[in-house]
Amino acid sequence: MKKANVVQSLVSIAVVVVLLTVLNGFLSSFQARIFNLCGIYVILALSMNLINGFVGLFSLGHAGFMAVGAYTTAMLTMSKEMKEMNFFLEPIAPWLLNVQLPFPIALIVGGLMASLAAFIIGAPVLRLNDDYLAIATLGFSEIIRVIFTNTQSLTNGALGLKGLPYIGIANKSSEAYWWIWGIVIITVVFMVVLIKSTYGRAFKAIREDEVAAEAMGINLFKHKMMAFVIGAFFAGIGGSLLGHLMGTIDPLLFRYLLTFNIVLIVVLGGIGSITGSVISAIVVTIAMEVLRILDGTIKIGSLVINGIPGTRMVVFSVLLMVVILFYQRGLMGTKEFSWSWFKKLPFITKKAKIS
Amino acid sequence: MKKNLSLLLALVMILSIVAVGCGQQAAPSEQPAEEVIKIGVFEPLTGANAAGGELEVEGIKLANKLYPTVLGKKVELIILDNKSDKVEAANAATRLVDQDKVSVVLGSWGSGFSIAAGAVYKEAGVPAIGTSCTNPLVTLNNEYYFRVCFIDPFQGNVMANYAFNEVKVKKVAFIIEKSNDYSVGLAKFFNDTFVELTGDQNAVVYTGYYNTGDQDFTAQLTGIKASGAEAIFAPGNFTESALIMKQAKELGLTLPILGGDTWETPEVIDIAGAAAEGVVFSTFFDANAKLTPVTTEFLDAYAKEYAGKEPAAVTALGFDSYILALDAIERAGSADPKAIRDALAATKDFPGAAGTVSLDENGDAVKSAVIKTVKDGKFTYLTTVEPIKK
Repeated sequence: MKKANVVQSLVSIAVVVVLLTVLNGFLSSFQARIFNLCGIYVILALSMNLINGFVGLFSLGHAGFMAVGAYTTAMLTMSKEMKEMNFFLEPIAPWLLNVQLPFPIALIVGGLMASLAAFIIGAPVLRLNDDYLAIATLGFSEIIRVIFTNTQSLTNGALGLKGLPYIGIANKSSEAYWWIWGIVIITVVFMVVLIKSTYGRAFKAIREDEVAAEAMGINLFKHKMMAFVIGAFFAGIGGSLLGHLMGTIDPLLFRYLLTFNIVLIVVLGGIGSITGSVISAIVVTIAMEVLRILDGTIKIGSLVINGIPGTRMVVFSVLLMVVILFYQRGLMGTKEFSWSWFKKLPFITKKAKIS
Repeated sequence: MKKNLSLLLALVMILSIVAVGCGQQAAPSEQPAEEVIKIGVFEPLTGANAAGGELEVEGIKLANKLYPTVLGKKVELIILDNKSDKVEAANAATRLVDQDKVSVVLGSWGSGFSIAAGAVYKEAGVPAIGTSCTNPLVTLNNEYYFRVCFIDPFQGNVMANYAFNEVKVKKVAFIIEKSNDYSVGLAKFFNDTFVELTGDQNAVVYTGYYNTGDQDFTAQLTGIKASGAEAIFAPGNFTESALIMKQAKELGLTLPILGGDTWETPEVIDIAGAAAEGVVFSTFFDANAKLTPVTTEFLDAYAKEYAGKEPAAVTALGFDSYILALDAIERAGSADPKAIRDALAATKDFPGAAGTVSLDENGDAVKSAVIKTVKDGKFTYLTTVEPIKK
């Protein structure tokens, strides 16, 4: 990597940090929540993009990985009293009752457990291609959900868990902001470095043509498994953060619909573009809240339009259709943000703030 | 060309964020400080649970029409959709307390959404009144969440008592919807009470499980047939429950079938047909029970507003949550959320359309349950069960 590139990357990280600090100053708690959610979706979108975009494996198992991560972290961070309160139907398994770890460690353990799940199912499933892989992984995530519903003494089953502590170590809700966005920065940097490494080039080679890649001496299975496990790790982290941001989880949260939310973000942003995933995760999450205006009653002068709940979802459907029809590879395609843009397009400065 | 267009689109998206940021800043100044008291409502209006949310909002709107003012100020309802999704529920809750600055919140159908939003209300210090969220976890350890419905333990208890005292059975079988917290909870508390009543540890002779969306229950029903059970307790989602009734009849099972309040939907009778005859379930409300004078008032107003429709129990609960909120605001004498919370916590013998509400130390309603059956293809009132005094 060139020296100038490193400097530029460090500068852009510094810009992002400054921007985050400024934003933190004037965001109301509602805006901060949405912004935190944006961060979580960035992590989730990037982890899916690694598997689906860069290696070209059409995997729909994300909700399953998130569930594994979220439940693991939750069981490790919740206090003994909280666990006893939650498990009023059937007592919690004794070995789980007294376990309590600090949030950062629990978070990493959550990610690792998701990786482990990916490793176990990856072995048989990654030998499949295309649609078959999609079906198998979708099935996997449903299996995880059903297992969590039925293991009453481990997960509290359908009742779900409540009273997850706040994100962070000081048990303050305001800490979540820095944790989430710190992890976002780490994730983005990690993904960029990974994609630019030899592994990343191998991933892309597999995406473009498996046979050619294999002929070049790339171990297909090893690389696929690697992407799958790393993607699952970040999905698990994202799931844990989501659970702790809300303070409650239940198996129903991790339905396949959650996976499709992330697919929507990845497809809109560009399959195989880190920049695209970041922008699209932020825009989609914010737009979902902003478009609530459409659900309510709108007054334009004397004209009163009575809102129908759900109108905002229609906007997303239309947007997705437009993107699929005109930009098959998403808004950014496989392009990435780079500083050379500035030389060519001086008016695009706004983008620097987001990547 | 395409490249330019995609750039343009991306720019528009970014600009819209900026514009929205400004828009949200500017919004409060547009409205002059008019004297209104804001009540937030968050309900699933789209997604899997939309039907239930719709019914509750119906009741809340009806109550708002009857009582549009409190403390001489107009009440403004702010209704948000939580998309039958926990994440959205928490978002909507934050929006209500932070953006709209509501004094009190009503909702929601579905305990999961209420639990997710409850954390937000607790932190913001805004009281919430649950309509039909029956999971005990909603109010547990959350001094800002109250509810006008009874909880799963009570309902399980009521049905166990009914099975023992009225149906006079000693052995029952369960069919539980494993993926539904409501069904699991009801069965657990039915079991506890029933074991205590009969003094027989093995009073529940068979337990069968199914998942939401299952179609075939012959395995569970055959198991029940062989188990020597005298009654079936099968709380759960109405579609699956109706199929259970139907398939039980096809298998020649003539045992009495008992259930919970979810059965009170026309779909049960539509799907199960004649097989639904004689099933017994507990619920919140019945037009014939005339629980309080407010019931009559509610029924009259409902008949005027929605001619030809039978009010659902959850509609009455929505109605109750609104009038309870108004009553609490009046007793608090201000729109300050903290004062309203304290007033709510002190609620005693409040007459609602679906029975008299007293809130216990958890914020759960202690109220009577109604037991209904299906007779000649219609839901028919059987009896009222008074709450257990602690």
